[in-house]
Amino acid sequence: MKCKRCGELAAVKLPSHHAGFCPDCFEVFFKRQAETAIRRHGMIKPGEKVLVAVSGGKDSLALMRVLTDLGHDVDGLHVHLGIPDSSDPVCERTEAYCQENGFRLHVLRTAEVGLAIPEVKDAVHRPICAVCGKIKRHYFNRFAYENGYTALATGHNLDDEVARLFANTLRWDAAYLSSQGPTLPGEGRFVRKIKPLYRLTEFETAAYCFLKGINHWKAACPYSGGASFTGHKKLFADLEDRSPGQKTAFYEAFLAQGRPHFKGASRGEGQDTLYACAQCGFPSSGEVCGVCRVRELVAKRKGEAD
Amino acid sequence: MITVTIDGKKPPLTYPKLKTVLQLLANLNLRVNDALIIREGELLTPDRHLRPGDHVTVRMVMSRG
Ligand code: SF4
Ligand SMILES: [Zn+2]
Ligand SMILES: [Zn+2]
Repeated sequence: MKCKRCGELAAVKLPSHHAGFCPDCFEVFFKRQAETAIRRHGMIKPGEKVLVAVSGGKDSLALMRVLTDLGHDVDGLHVHLGIPDSSDPVCERTEAYCQENGFRLHVLRTAEVGLAIPEVKDAVHRPICAVCGKIKRHYFNRFAYENGYTALATGHNLDDEVARLFANTLRWDAAYLSSQGPTLPGEGRFVRKIKPLYRLTEFETAAYCFLKGINHWKAACPYSGGASFTGHKKLFADLEDRSPGQKTAFYEAFLAQGRPHFKGASRGEGQDTLYACAQCGFPSSGEVCGVCRVRELVAKRKGEAD
Repeated sequence: MITVTIDGKKPPLTYPKLKTVLQLLANLNLRVNDALIIREGELLTPDRHLRPGDHVTVRMVMSRG
């Protein structure tokens, strides 16, 4: 197979784009997809400082690389979760990669703010991933807000977004469908959330990392019960296989034609108004936000143990 | 003989005969964009030919959480 752009031997075949690319042209393709996403959805304005949520996995490192190559002013934030045998090596690898590539990386340790994930796990009676996700989102946003970043970029790819949209469509979750998209505007203490890789598939980010020599962390978190939406991703992979381009079509048509109909949908009684958390000041649907409540639970449990 | 390692799993699989990457994918029940197929540091498209003695690495692309 030949490269669609230059005619050299292709390294990647992309049925959804009816194309094959050699390594160099694939990189051009990848950068352009990110550029298009940023432009069409007003993700980054000239001169804005962007914080990248860096987990150390392929998507976040690819994101850091491509935003830098596109000339944006980005710093990374890695949240160290305090999970034995996992958080230290992930953090070290991520720091090493960022240092080698000249990326500025901040590290925030949840243990230092009373939220080491193993302790959280013992203190709450909910699935740990839901709570951990909430804690990470809180600190990514908070760090961005407190340090003068206009936008927070995450590495969500097309497969993530399509699977999530599909799951929420199956439930007709109107509140979700009204607010979902590649850019969520900032408001008050919420900084703008952007997903510059939303037009790129999991395969494309994996190929990009391989070709760019990005040595990402591959092991799953020990608490993970498997990646989210795996079933939905498989279903969509079958659809995509039968009619290439389905994933993009489904997602883009939702943005253009579906989403407007859900505008203003309520999250349910008492859920729409946000207050400033009495403890941390960040937006909350109750008097004290979920993260501060979890912190209290952890402290209480520790106090009882002592 | 063609040796195939999937996500670092040991021992690798061996195939007496495989003509193309596409045949390998079909054997593993994989779609074109399910995995990276790597030989000697190079990514291979499905139409590429495999030769006896090749060592091929299959890297699944779906993240594991
Ligand atoms: S798998 Fe769960 S516990 Fe582990 S990092 Fe992800 S959300 Fe946190
Ligand atoms: Zn080319
Ligand atoms: Zn709070």
